Amino acid sequence: MPEKIGFYVCHCGINISNTVDVESVRDFIAGESQVEISRDYKFMCSNAGQNMIKSDIAEYDLTRVVVAACSPLMHELTFRTACEEAGLNRYLFQMANIREQCAWVHDDRAAATDKAKALSLAAVRRVALHQPMTPRQVPINPRTLVVGAGIAGIQAALELADSGNEVVLVEREPTIGGQMARFDKTFPTLDCSSCILTPKMVSVSHRKNIRLLTCSEVKNVEGYMGNFTVTVKTRPRYVTDVCTSCGECVKVCPINVPSVFDMMMQDRTAIHKVFPQAVPGTFVIEKRERPPCKQACPIHQDAAGYIALVREGRFAEAAKLVRKENPLPFICGRVCYHPCESQCNRGSVDEPLAIRDLKRFLMDWERENIGEVEPPPKENDFEESVAVIGSGPAGLTAAFDLARMGYKVTVFEKHNVAGGMLAVGLPTYRCPRDILEHDIKYIEKMGVRIETGRELGKHFTLDDLLEGKNGYRYDAVFIATGAHKGFTLDVPGEHLEGVISGVDYLRNINLGLEQKTGRKVAVIGGGNTAIDTARTARREGAEVTILYRRTREEMPAEEDELADAIAEGVEVRYLTAPVEILGEREQVRGVRCITMQLGEPDASGRRRPVPVPGSEHDLEFDQVIVSISQQPDVAWYPKPAEGSNGAPRLNFTKWDTVQVNAETMQTDVPGVFAGGDIVLGPATVVEAMGQGRRAAEAMHKYLRNDPLQDFETHMPPANPRKGFEEKPHPYAPRYEDTPREERISMPQRDAAERIRDYREVNLGYSVEQAQREASRCLNCGVCVECYECERVCEPGAIVHNMKETEEEIEVGQILATTGFDLMDPSVMPQYGYGKLDNVYTSLEFERIVNATGPTGGKILLKNGKEPRAVAILHCIGSRDERYHRYCSRVCCMYALKFAHLVKERTSAEVYQFYIDMRAFGKGYEEFYSRVLDEGANVIRGRVAEIVEAGWSGEEAGVLLVHCEDTLIGKHREIPVDMVILCPALVPKHDAGDLARTLSISRSPDGFFLERHPKLDPVATATDGVMVAGACQGPKDIPDSVAQASAAAARILSLISKGEVEIDPVRAVIDEEACGGCRICNDLCPYKAITWDEERKISMVNEALCKGCGTCVAACPASAITGMGFTNDQIEMELEALLEV
Amino acid sequence: MVQKSPDRNYTPGKLPLRERALRMAFLQRIHDIPGGEKLHRCIQCGTCSGSCPVSWAMDLMPRELIAHFRAGDIETILHSRTIWLCASCYACTERCPQGIRVTDIIYSLKRLAIDSDITLEHDGAHKLPQIFVDIINKYGRNHELGLMMRYYLRTNPLQLLRMASLGLAMMKRRRITFTPPRVEKALKDIRLIIAHAERLEVPKEIFSPEYRPDTVGYRAIDKVSSRSSKSPSTTE
Repeated sequence: MPEKIGFYVCHCGINISNTVDVESVRDFIAGESQVEISRDYKFMCSNAGQNMIKSDIAEYDLTRVVVAACSPLMHELTFRTACEEAGLNRYLFQMANIREQCAWVHDDRAAATDKAKALSLAAVRRVALHQPMTPRQVPINPRTLVVGAGIAGIQAALELADSGNEVVLVEREPTIGGQMARFDKTFPTLDCSSCILTPKMVSVSHRKNIRLLTCSEVKNVEGYMGNFTVTVKTRPRYVTDVCTSCGECVKVCPINVPSVFDMMMQDRTAIHKVFPQAVPGTFVIEKRERPPCKQACPIHQDAAGYIALVREGRFAEAAKLVRKENPLPFICGRVCYHPCESQCNRGSVDEPLAIRDLKRFLMDWERENIGEVEPPPKENDFEESVAVIGSGPAGLTAAFDLARMGYKVTVFEKHNVAGGMLAVGLPTYRCPRDILEHDIKYIEKMGVRIETGRELGKHFTLDDLLEGKNGYRYDAVFIATGAHKGFTLDVPGEHLEGVISGVDYLRNINLGLEQKTGRKVAVIGGGNTAIDTARTARREGAEVTILYRRTREEMPAEEDELADAIAEGVEVRYLTAPVEILGEREQVRGVRCITMQLGEPDASGRRRPVPVPGSEHDLEFDQVIVSISQQPDVAWYPKPAEGSNGAPRLNFTKWDTVQVNAETMQTDVPGVFAGGDIVLGPATVVEAMGQGRRAAEAMHKYLRNDPLQDFETHMPPANPRKGFEEKPHPYAPRYEDTPREERISMPQRDAAERIRDYREVNLGYSVEQAQREASRCLNCGVCVECYECERVCEPGAIVHNMKETEEEIEVGQILATTGFDLMDPSVMPQYGYGKLDNVYTSLEFERIVNATGPTGGKILLKNGKEPRAVAILHCIGSRDERYHRYCSRVCCMYALKFAHLVKERTSAEVYQFYIDMRAFGKGYEEFYSRVLDEGANVIRGRVAEIVEAGWSGEEAGVLLVHCEDTLIGKHREIPVDMVILCPALVPKHDAGDLARTLSISRSPDGFFLERHPKLDPVATATDGVMVAGACQGPKDIPDSVAQASAAAARILSLISKGEVEIDPVRAVIDEEACGGCRICNDLCPYKAITWDEERKISMVNEALCKGCGTCVAACPASAITGMGFTNDQIEMELEALLEV
Repeated sequence: MVQKSPDRNYTPGKLPLRERALRMAFLQRIHDIPGGEKLHRCIQCGTCSGSCPVSWAMDLMPRELIAHFRAGDIETILHSRTIWLCASCYACTERCPQGIRVTDIIYSLKRLAIDSDITLEHDGAHKLPQIFVDIINKYGRNHELGLMMRYYLRTNPLQLLRMASLGLAMMKRRRITFTPPRVEKALKDIRLIIAHAERLEVPKEIFSPEYRPDTVGYRAIDKVSSRSSKSPSTTE
């Protein structure tokens, strides 16, 4: 059946008819076959025009209507409604745009008329194929998300809450209030900013139906108008809301960083309240990445924390902090190989901090000034008992941790002294025995029983401990017997008298056993044991030579230790390897060596030494100490008996180390754990301690029948540089800009004197040295976790291990009120910002005049004097092609406010430099007059540059403002003491991220784009997402508030409507044609297409589909149709366009 | 400052004949400066004058050049010392918030003044460039003494006497020489370069003006650009 089409072409006053011959278009369309009636009219959108359509529909029985006029964005709804009122389905109407896309962009009348004809014909042909459609109704979730809690967000949230609806208010900062909280007075009425803002802030916190999420950001938004699912990420505050804002924590916090709220002009502590009236009033700890020293330490020693306390001179607290994680603090302060120092960020400036030496200082200070320290109380009291085999660092750490948790712990030690390698392997000039005993005593006080002289395999077996034989009964066993067997060289002559392994030699000396030392001693190896051996032999009176097959570069020994050895007269021969030990009558006579050279790198990354042929040479020695490496001695473990019943057994690697699960430290025998050198092979003290700690936590979980996962003591993934690439924290200078300061080296005894005895070589820091060294710390990550705040917090509000959380929230509509940033004027070097003293930005000046600011509200120069003259410069970076072309709107007025404040509080002259004075709001011009009355000098002219007048005498500190006074046409040079720049308001630095998350467009200047600049200023192109305040463009407080209220009203109108109509333009899948290729599933940007597993076809979720057409184009089977955009319709439209 | 136009004008929307010719000639030149049309965007902020190191000696501030152009008073601009005092430091161009090429525009004005035979009565600044080029053409390198002698002889011989003591002092210290330096080897090439440059017109770069007639009140540029092939003097 042919359609009856009504065609109407609009003159739009003269907007269209000036360029397009409207009558000719009318006549052209009239000739089209299905067109019943073709008319033209001056204003189709007027009531008369609409009525014309309505009466024609009734009179001529029209089945389709086409209007050729303006953009459908403007009036499509008008005409659709008119059709509907006349009883025609609204989707049987089509609009041809001959104004924006034709009349306005052409000036050739004939061509424009032809184009209008083509556009009209296309619409007429297309409309004939239209099908009636019905819009969908979707219910609206009455909860609203407001992003950003500045004055606009607060206003909107309050209005929405007043209506009884729920609001989720998300704010990135720890407090609400936004930029307005920084201001002192507000123009033009000079109300006190906080006096009018804080009641609103408090009101937000009191509303039951406002859910305030501070420290939070919107990470993701899914869904559609009325039914959004928002993912909000909340950074930990580390303080719970039981905080009473008493401020005791601030008194003990050792960290000071510049306050961002005070524009970096005043310091605050790491735990802080942003400003006194902050809402919520809960304090917040600024904690970035964990300091690398703590990350690098296997036992997570709070190094940065105790260093900060040492700097403050609070040694008792610092020593207590060292003990918090460290069961062997005296030992670690002396012999730890400090993995923390190699990761220390200070190393990027000059040299790492002497972290270990500071710990030693603290412990020595504690012993001198406090004496014996009582261990912390047990956390619990458990029935189970645990056996620890071996009293080395791994065993003692596990014993200490388990005892602290509340287990009964017994440590078995083979030797007659406790300490394992610490007692038998460490030379006493590095670690005196009384020091070691001091640490062990502390562990014993914890309730750990240490049984010395009890050897595994000799006095008892592993089975005894587990099965309760021979009076033993333990619920879990930790094996930490270490690696005490020296490797052999595997060269001829090793059996000779006078050849001994390094560990044996050291043990004999340390235990006071009989041990001869030769006159000329060769020590073979380049590790720490080799150095210890060499220095010990030196103290026994020998001439010592270290033979090492690579160079100093590859030497694994600590550099300090090596330097000390050389200072003590130890000779080192590099690139020298023994090939045979020469003997005479079964007694060592010398070593035959071969010279090496470095070849390709091997598996360890070090270059492999290769022998130089023919370079053999003999060296004379009467003793050879082989210190190349150690391995565990596992003779205590019996070989499996013949025909054993397959009971679980320990398994060993080819180096005789025990195989454990690296995560849980479990061996293959249930209830038996192992750690330390017996697992790692020869490692350092602190690595062994880390294993002990890890095992203790695992054993605790095992004994409590908890799953062995989520270990708190495990090392974080190794990436200590993350977050510290350029600077230690956001407020610090970059490493290259940080002033250099030399590391304070540890005082030592004279080398000639110290080889005479075994007294300690290192002497320790003085108080001054320690504090000076500690002050080199860069405070990585702001809060360094000294736990002082936790100590003094009476309500117990502080939770240092609070985690970041993510939450999904269902909302109906979203309002973005994220505000603005201030442009950094240092990009315009002519104004000297950041280089010249007393050149401030407007926000900095707001803080200066604010009573809670750095000067307590007094307008003062950096030198503390009152300025004699102040220059206020408008348009810094605004109205400037190079930076921002737009006018920032608020500057003129706040600049006048500044002039008033300077006049009010000082006797200074004020010079205002403006291009055009924009006083456009209510009461603004009057305020301008008032400031003129007060005697401000107003100069029309943009300042060209600010220069220093000179460096001495009365010129010193004076700034010269160069500009043309354009009203007299003269170059002026005006001396002032202070300059206030009024930089451009710019979009938030990460506005683009939020824009993407919320699907908001941005205008070329970067601000959020409203749907229509005049008629729809708070909506955006995305339904259900609104904008208000300065995130949409520079705006003052009255405008922001008005816009926020407008947005709230828009949101409420939809909420009260209850449901929303959604355009039926959407994708429809022909189930018969769908081949099940699933291409469309992933392509859909709205995740509207799902896969029906049963029927093997793709399905469109109508509620999610936006009708974008991506899937339609992609479907290889042409099974998807865009309703309202069918292939037939589009082809017909194109054909008609090409026809004219 | 505004000079009385010789021919008074009663046609609304039209400039006096002489001024109209100057204006079209000027716009023609502006058109040859990439971005030159931004001239119309001037907001008269005075950044150019404030940045100018020699503005203290100018009778018109750089900003006022544009104001005078707008006011239909190019005559005054061409008679001012300002265009001849410009030291070409480009500080104004560097800082102009509207991206106006002030220095380049001043160059155009200098050429327009020379082409229109407008020279300063009491000032010979405009003669210096020609003397400089003549000397280079002759010797291949600048001769300071010769340059100053000729300049003062042609403009203000009395000044030459006043400068004599300074000149002698400089000669003693060998800062200037009595005999001109000679560049034997490359002199021919230098002369070729100068001759070539003199034959050349102002270089025309291809660019698309950002100027849109519907946003600013000045439409003249568009008209000029559509007639850029014609000689400016024939324009009414």
